[in-house]
Amino acid sequence: MSQQLDAETETTTQTIRESLNQALHEELERDERVLLYGEDVAEYGGLYKISEGLYEEFGEERVFDTPLAETSLGGTAVGAALAGARPVVEIMYADFLPIAGDHLINYAAKMYFNYGDETSVPMVVRSMYGTGDGHGLHHGQSPEAWFMNVPGLKVVMPSTPREYKGLLKGAIRDDDPVIFLENKMRYGESGPVPDEEYTISLCESDVKREGTDATIVAIGGMVYEALEAAERLSEQGIECEIVDPRTISPLDTGPILESVEKTNILVTAQEAPTFGGFGSEVAAQVIDDAFFYLDAPVKRVGAPFTPIPFAENLEEAYQPTADDIESAVIDAIET
Amino acid sequence: MTQNVSVDDETARQFLEGMLRIDIFEEETKERFGEGEIPGFVHLSGGHEGSHIGMGAAMGDDDWLAVGGARLIGQYIAKGVPLPDIMAELYGRVGGSNKGHGGQMHVSDIGRKLYGHAATIGSGQNPAVGLALAEEIQETDNVAVTTIGDGGTSRGSFHTALVFAAYWDLPVVFVIENNEWAISTPAESLSPDHLSDYGIPHKMATESIDGSDVEAVYHTVSEAIERARNGGGPTVIESRVARLVPHFEGDKETYRDTDEYERLKEEKDPIENYRERLLERDIVTETGIEDMIANIETEVKEAVEFARESPEPEPEAAYDHVYRTPLYGQGENQ
Repeated sequence: MSQQLDAETETTTQTIRESLNQALHEELERDERVLLYGEDVAEYGGLYKISEGLYEEFGEERVFDTPLAETSLGGTAVGAALAGARPVVEIMYADFLPIAGDHLINYAAKMYFNYGDETSVPMVVRSMYGTGDGHGLHHGQSPEAWFMNVPGLKVVMPSTPREYKGLLKGAIRDDDPVIFLENKMRYGESGPVPDEEYTISLCESDVKREGTDATIVAIGGMVYEALEAAERLSEQGIECEIVDPRTISPLDTGPILESVEKTNILVTAQEAPTFGGFGSEVAAQVIDDAFFYLDAPVKRVGAPFTPIPFAENLEEAYQPTADDIESAVIDAIET
Repeated sequence: MTQNVSVDDETARQFLEGMLRIDIFEEETKERFGEGEIPGFVHLSGGHEGSHIGMGAAMGDDDWLAVGGARLIGQYIAKGVPLPDIMAELYGRVGGSNKGHGGQMHVSDIGRKLYGHAATIGSGQNPAVGLALAEEIQETDNVAVTTIGDGGTSRGSFHTALVFAAYWDLPVVFVIENNEWAISTPAESLSPDHLSDYGIPHKMATESIDGSDVEAVYHTVSEAIERARNGGGPTVIESRVARLVPHFEGDKETYRDTDEYERLKEEKDPIENYRERLLERDIVTETGIEDMIANIETEVKEAVEFARESPEPEPEAAYDHVYRTPLYGQGENQ
């Protein structure tokens, strides 16, 4: 389903950072069960200033700091959600998600399944990924593949300011546990955001650009790289369609399959290592359900199977970019 | 001479009855497991019955119990989950508390405020802190009680839960059932004199008690709950019990000293000790106990019948209840 903005919708151009802050503000205001907590989220406003001003506005009962223990951030969110709150916790870097992993994987994901009635744990775990800032091994990994293999969890990875806002509000209102991944290198990206209140439902892929020659399925920050690659390819007469799943798991495969059936070429783009990643799953889904529509082997763009290196030149070589997507599309078409 | 009885006669009889209910239910479970009727594996509570019943009796209906450790069936019973619901869950049937999705280690019941998901030992404490957090924010006076075994206290998650409970000064009662054995690893190799000492650096109230004495547990947990309800913050209790059963059915326990095991069975059986105590003070009679046992045996028999007659889940049930909200792809009924 396309989520193109209605031409008549009044919008304001603003950054992802501003959009997230607004989303949190609106949801804290709308529903008193919503809580926001984590390390340095209150007076400090979050390491990336996403929650700036919320502590002052809503007070320490609703927005509060915690000691440094992600295990307890994950675990207390499970308990609080079960007892009637709707916690939004911030895990500063996605690299720290595995510390909370026991509670996310073994508890949050299985609570609705195990109770077997209407009981669920409406909780959102916000966390940051994204490389290119010299933060090295433990401050920028893309964790979606670590969690997309866990039934019961929803993994959301927005791209534009409009989607960051709408999907965060959607995630907070969703009754399932959601891991909401924010690309810290893109907080300053700006774009149109509707002035009127809106939410975006989870688990709906979006077509970001229409085209007939190749399908690029890109996630998170790579959507920007895909758009750039598509512009360059357009100058060469190749029109790419870009599908942005927005929710990684459970995956809305419909728009991906429809697009491949039209273009007959599939390229995937992610920041995480290619091996065992999101792109591999998309490739497999397409091979399962649209194999005979493919005119060429699937190309997966992602990082090499190596940790994020620190040295500037190594990090630059590590990061997948628009160039890689451009070459992958050309390679596929020329096959 | 046995110890005094410090509760009224009716309560004392209920304590004995509660412990016998766990024992008889579990003996039947063992039989049914041995006959191959109950799949998977089972961990029984022998030696922990007093700790479970004393704790359960101290709790109000609106207090949460977040279970942990391996001795779980007794805790489900102590929190009031009906025997047929538990038995049918052990059988993996639709009539079970969790419709066969959970099994022995995951019996849970939201209506009875039982958080029963704890098989990564040492993890239940953080959700318990979250339960207490939500209760406090909603300005109720409900308390979260959470249990763990001696083994679980070595996991970091137990300690971060203490940090958070202390930081927020929440109404949480941590009950450590120290039965001296983490499967085959003895707790005496751990450094604290008492496992409740883990609460000391957090300036929490701590108690170490004889957990085979149902009344001691009842009084200590009651005081801790009362303190938590009145804003006095968390407590850590070590309930010292003897594990009078294997870790799980089938464990040959070659690591245990036979004489010591026999001594514990002789001296630390909470049911036998309490039975003698009540008989000596004419609070119950032999006939009264026989009636009690006969009634429980009927209840348990009915629970088994219920479980046997309850259907197996339809194959599609494996895909039920993965996500609450509609979605594409995984987790849907295919």
